[in-house]
Amino acid sequence: MVVDLSKCVRCYGCVAACRVEHFLPLGITWPRLIAWEEKADEVTTFPVRCNHCKDAPCVKVCVTGATQQREDGIVWIDQDKCVGCRYCIIACPYQNRMYVSKDRDTGYFPGYDLTEFEKAGRRKYPHIIGITEKCNFCMERIDEGLSHGHKPGIDRDATPACVNTCPARALHFGDLGDPNSEVRQLIRDRKGFQLHLEHDTDPSIYYIDKGWRGQ
Amino acid sequence: MALRQWMVTHDWMVKPTAQSEWIERRGILVWIAEVFTSLGAGLFLVSLFFNNWWGMLAGWLIIMFLKIPLHLIYFGKPLRFWRTVIPFTSAWKTSWFTRGINFNIYFGTFAFIQLVIGYVAINIYPNTAWDSWYLAFGIISGVFAFLVGIYSGFIMSYCKSVPFWNTAMLPIIILLTGVADGFALMLAVGMFDKSVDIAAVEAGSRILLTAIIFMISIYVWNGTYQSKTAKYSAMLLIKGSLSWWFWLGVVALGMVIPLALASLSLFTETATQLLIIAIVLHTIGAVALKYVLLKAGVHTPLLPTLSYSHRL
Repeated sequence: MVVDLSKCVRCYGCVAACRVEHFLPLGITWPRLIAWEEKADEVTTFPVRCNHCKDAPCVKVCVTGATQQREDGIVWIDQDKCVGCRYCIIACPYQNRMYVSKDRDTGYFPGYDLTEFEKAGRRKYPHIIGITEKCNFCMERIDEGLSHGHKPGIDRDATPACVNTCPARALHFGDLGDPNSEVRQLIRDRKGFQLHLEHDTDPSIYYIDKGWRGQ
Repeated sequence: MALRQWMVTHDWMVKPTAQSEWIERRGILVWIAEVFTSLGAGLFLVSLFFNNWWGMLAGWLIIMFLKIPLHLIYFGKPLRFWRTVIPFTSAWKTSWFTRGINFNIYFGTFAFIQLVIGYVAINIYPNTAWDSWYLAFGIISGVFAFLVGIYSGFIMSYCKSVPFWNTAMLPIIILLTGVADGFALMLAVGMFDKSVDIAAVEAGSRILLTAIIFMISIYVWNGTYQSKTAKYSAMLLIKGSLSWWFWLGVVALGMVIPLALASLSLFTETATQLLIIAIVLHTIGAVALKYVLLKAGVHTPLLPTLSYSHRL
């Protein structure tokens, strides 16, 4: 994924789209935004989420092998295997994992029963209390799209919900291994950079901007 | 350079943020479990060295009935514990946590067999082949007690995300402090079991405490130039919010005073009251050391830019 920092308008559309797509509990957020000001009236926004590192520490430290990496690079968590030891949360240099605790899963109307909408969501995406979660690049959506012959990053049905939703086209998705893909070209032409290279994790999320180099 | 507060939702992106999973709320269980790791594994190793059956039994009980249950209670899904056990997982190839859990299981099994054989060898069939089996299982149990004592240090030092932990010194410090705790508890065993050579235990304690003071000094000093975040962690210990825990709990009560008490035995026979004080202070030191290590585990901010001066 490539994030164009100069285009993000801080609409939080990606955050909302992810919440709807995965029926996220109230206290759980997979993609997040931060805005910061380097000069007066010049605000930079950083959309952040799991970096799906090629050399992911969370995969290595996982005590049961619940955190796994697919051949396409997507790092995901097998909810049936996670024991909730939270080692991965500590080992992630990007702090993009969350533990699903009771107080983070109160329902959209705390103190009341779950709505029918929430119940339907739980059936599709059971967010189990006591395990760890994070962004999975909408891998169910990608797999479904691929099975219909769609191409990730080009066809909406095989592209993560946050990328589809972004009204400013600040998020780009595609195959980093393909030198002719849009994401690869953006990284090459606009000198894309990754966060925290010192950890040797080789993140799959690149940022591009007019001037900010992340150093 | 300033933050617009109405936009800032996550401190961890712009500030060095302490890990909370293993020290706050239910994380307190991890802290206490790690204290029992030191006490249990340390006591077992020291007892093995002095060939003290009761000490080994106490160490085994601490690991099996205090440390392991606390770790299990901490898990979000404790009933899935079996998934961490070889052969149900292959995660041991990369995960120190998985290795550690399995070390505990092997230690528990072999040390139990050794204790049973030892009881028979000492009380029922002395000077028979049972002694050889006792020795053989003692070696195996000792190896696994060593691994139980050191693995949590490797768990922490593996985390590049927490620079203060990410050093090869940490496992050695964790192990040595555990053995030093074992020497202190051996004094307690010696108060009931007259076969324990108190003078030898105190001599061992003196050597180890001196080594630990040296190593912890190097460790903290190393943190001050390792990286900005590690320096932030080290400064938390030296003059920040953890300074009382560090200077009073770890340094004074946990190391300097016990060392002074152990040194007293060079000149005079140690009184029982002083032994009790040394044991209590040493245990307080173990509690404080684990607390400051876990609490000072600070993540590097996601966006490496802002000041490190806040909340020190």
